[in-house]
Amino acid sequence: MPDNSSKRVLIIDDAALVRAYYRAALEAHGFVVGEALNGLEGLEKLLLEPFDLVIADINMPQMDGITFLRTLRSKELPVSSIPVLVTSTEAGPHDIAAARGAGANYYLVKPIKQETLAEYAAIFCGRPR
Amino acid sequence: MPLVRNPTPTVEPRAPDERKPVQVLASGSDEERWIAARSAAETPEGLSLLTHALAVERVPRVREAMFTALAKIATPESASVALPYLRSEDAALRTQALDALRAMPAVAAEHLSQLLDDSDPDVRLLACEIARALPTGDASRVLGELIEKETNSNVCSAAIEILAETGDVASLPILARCAARFPNDPFLTFAVKTASGRIGSSER
Amino acid sequence: MTDPPQMTEDEFRRLAEFLYRRTGMVFTESKRYYVERRVWERIDATSSLSFSVYFAHLRSEVRDEVEQLINAFTVNETYFYREDHQLACLTTDLLRERVATKRPGDPIRIWSAPCSTGEEPYSIAIWLLENWKDVDTYDIEIVGSDIDTCVLEAAAVGIFGKRALMRLSPEVIARYFHALDDERWQILDDLRQSVRFTRVNLIETKETRPQGRFDVIFCRNVLIYFDDESRRIAAENLYDNLLPGGFICLGHTESMSRISPLFEVCRYSEAIVYRRPEELRRAR
Repeated sequence: MPDNSSKRVLIIDDAALVRAYYRAALEAHGFVVGEALNGLEGLEKLLLEPFDLVIADINMPQMDGITFLRTLRSKELPVSSIPVLVTSTEAGPHDIAAARGAGANYYLVKPIKQETLAEYAAIFCGRPR
Repeated sequence: MPLVRNPTPTVEPRAPDERKPVQVLASGSDEERWIAARSAAETPEGLSLLTHALAVERVPRVREAMFTALAKIATPESASVALPYLRSEDAALRTQALDALRAMPAVAAEHLSQLLDDSDPDVRLLACEIARALPTGDASRVLGELIEKETNSNVCSAAIEILAETGDVASLPILARCAARFPNDPFLTFAVKTASGRIGSSER
Repeated sequence: MTDPPQMTEDEFRRLAEFLYRRTGMVFTESKRYYVERRVWERIDATSSLSFSVYFAHLRSEVRDEVEQLINAFTVNETYFYREDHQLACLTTDLLRERVATKRPGDPIRIWSAPCSTGEEPYSIAIWLLENWKDVDTYDIEIVGSDIDTCVLEAAAVGIFGKRALMRLSPEVIARYFHALDDERWQILDDLRQSVRFTRVNLIETKETRPQGRFDVIFCRNVLIYFDDESRRIAAENLYDNLLPGGFICLGHTESMSRISPLFEVCRYSEAIVYRRPEELRRAR
C-alpha cells in the first residue's frame, strides 16, 4: 500500500453523508481529510490550507463543480494546478467532457466503492494537471 | 485632524435608465441588463420579460439576478419558469435554478410531487433538495414515499441524505427495505446505516 | 439550573450538520458542552418538549431561531477594534489596491453596515488615523448605516463605556475621546462629524442604492441570518454598492459560500475578504 501519510485531500460535496463516506474511506488509508460543502467554500479552503488532491462533486449550491474547476484553474496561483477528481451521479458523455474541459484530472461515477476512491486518491495525489 | 468632511452628502444619484426594460434586456450592457433584471420583479410584465430574457442570457451574474427576480415574484408561475433549467446540461444553470427554487420554498413545493415523478432520475435527484425545505414531518413523508417506489439508487441516496436530518420512527422500516433492494450499492448501504442511527437515537 | 440533559452523539451530529450547511460554522466534539447548554436554553425558551421538537422548530427557521441559537456562539458584543485583523488587512492590503488607480485628493468611501451604536465606523476612522500613512492624501468618507434608528442616534452622539473601549490604548483614548465622567467617554467632535450615519435596510434596494458606491464595505454578522431570498437580494444590493474591484468583509464566522456566488474570494495574510470583480478591460 502506498504511503499516504500526510497526504491531504479536500472533499467538496454538499451531501453530509457523502463527505462522511469518503472521509471514512480516505482516513482508513492514511489520508488527512478536509471538507467543503460547495465550490465556493472549496476555493476558500484551498486558499487557507495546503492540500494534495481535491475530490469534487458537480451539483452543489452557490457554485457547482464545473464552475469551481474553471475558477480554480484560471487563478494564477500554485494551487491552481492541484489534481482534481470529479465525482458525479451523471454519467453522460457531455458531463464527462465538460469536466475534462474545465480541467478535471479524472471523473468517477457515483456510487463509488470506498476502495476505489482510496486507490484513485493515492494515484492522483501529487500529480498536477 | 483630517477626515473631517463636508456634512452634506456628496453622493451623486445614478441616473435611472429611461429605456423600457424589454429594450435594456435585449441590447443593454452587462451592467444595464443586470439592473433591468433586478427591477423586473416590480413591473407587471416582469414574468414574461424574465422568461424570454433568461432563455438567451449567457452572463452568469445577469442570469443570477433574473433568478432572484423570479424568487421575488414567488408565484407557482415564476417557479415554473425556473423548473426547466433543472434539466440543463450546464451544471451552473442547474445550480442557479435549484438555488432560486430554494429561495421560494412555498411555491416550489407546489411542483414537488410532479418533479419527484419525473421520468429523468437526474431531475428526481435534484427535486429531493426542494423537499428539504418542507416542514420536518412533510419532508419525511414525501421522501419516504419516493424511496419506496424509486428504482434509481442514487436518487434514493439523495433522499436518504435528507431523511438523516428530518426522519422519524416511520422512516426506519422504509430505509431498511431500501437497503435490502440495493445490496450492491456500497454508498447506499452506508447512508441507510448512518441515517438510521441518527433517527433511532432521537426517538426516546 | 443543574447540568443539562445530555444530547446523544447522533442528535449532536444532526444539529452540527444542519448548522454547518446553514451557516458554515463547524461544531466539533470539543464544542459539544457549549452547544448542549445553549440548545437546552433554547428548548426551554421555545417550550419544546424534546430535542426532536426543537430541531423541527429550528429547521423551519421560524422567528429567527437560527439567529437566537447562533448568537450565543458568535459573541456579538460590539467594541472598538473588534476583529482588528480586518482593520489591519484594510490598511496593509485593501486600501493599497484601491489607491493604485487613484490620484491624491480622490475619494475613498468606506461603508459600515450594519453599524449598530457606531463602534465599527469610528474604529475604522481611528485605525486609519493611527495606522495609515496616506490618511491625509485622499478624501476619505466613512458612512455608518443601520436599520435601527435608536442605535443610529446613539452612534451620532458617540458616548461609550469602559467595555467598548477595552481594546484601545490609553493614548488612543486620550487622542480621540474626552471623558465625561469615570464611566463614559465621548468621541471628539471633529471625528464624530467625520462619520455620516444613515438609516438603511440592506434588503431594500431603494434604500441601499442612494448610499452610492464604496471602495470597501464591512457587513458583519447580519447576512447569514437572512432567509434565502433576502440573502440573495442583500448580496446583490451590496454588489451594486461596490465599485468594480471594491472589497467586502464579513464576520469571521461567515462565508460568502453560504450567501452568494457574486463575489470573488481573496486571501490576504490577515483575512479572507471578497471582491466585486474588476470591469473587464477592453481587448488590446
